[in-house]
Amino acid sequence: MKEGREEKFSSDVISDLYANLLKEIWESVSALIGEAILTLLFNLAIRKIGERYSFLNSLRVSEEGLALEEVKKGFRDLPPAEIHRGFQSLINELSHLFSALTEGVITKELLPKVLPKVREAERMVSKK
Amino acid sequence: MEFITFKDLNKLRSIINAISTSVEVKGIIDLVGTTLPSLFDFSVFGVLWKEGPMLSLFQEESCPPAFTQEVVKNMLKVFSILGGEPIEVERVNLQVEKGKLRNKQKVMDPQASLKSHLTLPLVIEGEVIGCISINSDQANMYNVPRLQFFSVLGYQMAASLKHIQRFSTVKKEAIYDTLTNLFNRRHFEERLSAESQKAFESESNLSMIMVDIDHFKKVNDTFGHDGGDKVLREIASLLKNSVRQYDTVARYGGEEFVLLLPGAPLDPTSMVAERIRRLVENTPFDMGQTQIRITISLGISNFPIHRMKSKEELVKMADLALYEAKKGGRNRVCIFKG
Repeated sequence: MKEGREEKFSSDVISDLYANLLKEIWESVSALIGEAILTLLFNLAIRKIGERYSFLNSLRVSEEGLALEEVKKGFRDLPPAEIHRGFQSLINELSHLFSALTEGVITKELLPKVLPKVREAERMVSKK
Repeated sequence: MEFITFKDLNKLRSIINAISTSVEVKGIIDLVGTTLPSLFDFSVFGVLWKEGPMLSLFQEESCPPAFTQEVVKNMLKVFSILGGEPIEVERVNLQVEKGKLRNKQKVMDPQASLKSHLTLPLVIEGEVIGCISINSDQANMYNVPRLQFFSVLGYQMAASLKHIQRFSTVKKEAIYDTLTNLFNRRHFEERLSAESQKAFESESNLSMIMVDIDHFKKVNDTFGHDGGDKVLREIASLLKNSVRQYDTVARYGGEEFVLLLPGAPLDPTSMVAERIRRLVENTPFDMGQTQIRITISLGISNFPIHRMKSKEELVKMADLALYEAKKGGRNRVCIFKG
């Protein structure tokens, strides 16, 4: 019972951490390339990574921003490591798309913001 | 970090303004290609337009062919990553324009390779209609402010290109009959006004052939409207391929067509009409399980032989001749008899 509660707590914390991180990516990159292009890139990344981590398919992206509520409902029962791997793959795919378009310009801007939070998530998962 | 100056912003504004008032795709590409060097240092600027597909490059005079190829490949690769259908290099209609983007001391190394680029999709309502790319043989050439500038340009280009695309579709729909792809009646009236004025003023020949499909109602009743439409499309194609490029072939209404032959005297027009009649008569029309034969009736009028004084009379006389052809038993050509 206690273990279950801890896992739940950990999943929520990881999901909140990634939700904030994705919002931060959205804010930073939309200021560089605009919402329409960024929406396209997010949707491409979700389509690709969603094949493996299906909970990501309920992440809704439009030019108004990201809607993460549905995703959160979808991974309530998933282990934190799975959530972490799904989001991490999504962020990697986004980075790959950013690099294909602008080489290092976007990535350089994002790295200082993204990397510490991904490491934090890794630490949380490995502690379990 | 490089800062954006007021001068840069003003340049950007004037480029955007010019793009938004352009009415042709090529105009936009040329405009951006020629004005971009005032904002960016680059070796090649490219616009990939998925219709065609067409790739326009605006590049430094001394740009080596291998560098151009690298840019082309990279743009096609990025376009396919962006969800566009993969495009093979051989399929691309490549247009290269060279300009002096650098002074003599800074000509490109013949061995130069692609070191930095910004390639952004042209997105409208979620659809990628192409992409734009700026490329350099120098490493780390672009930064955040340049990326922001480039994306602003991209958004304006995408909006203008889409607008032009829509405008050309509307323009096409205003001229062509959507079923047969022949000119529609409205456009025919315009052509008739122009050609009759020319003929009346210069006393030159102008012939008209009115065409009507015999017993078309029977085709519709037997094979339904899809079958009828198929016959209309095939006859339209036979008519179009039976005349000169500068003749006008239009759908006049229902199963009626009209041909306008500037400079054509009466006898050759009569020969053309007879050739068309025989062609249709001898063409089997495939209607799924069965093949059918169709015939047409044709009526001819000519200026100056029939001495009409207006374009309306030219039409009326061809129409009366067509009526004679129908009355005489169909599947025949009649010349107007005053």
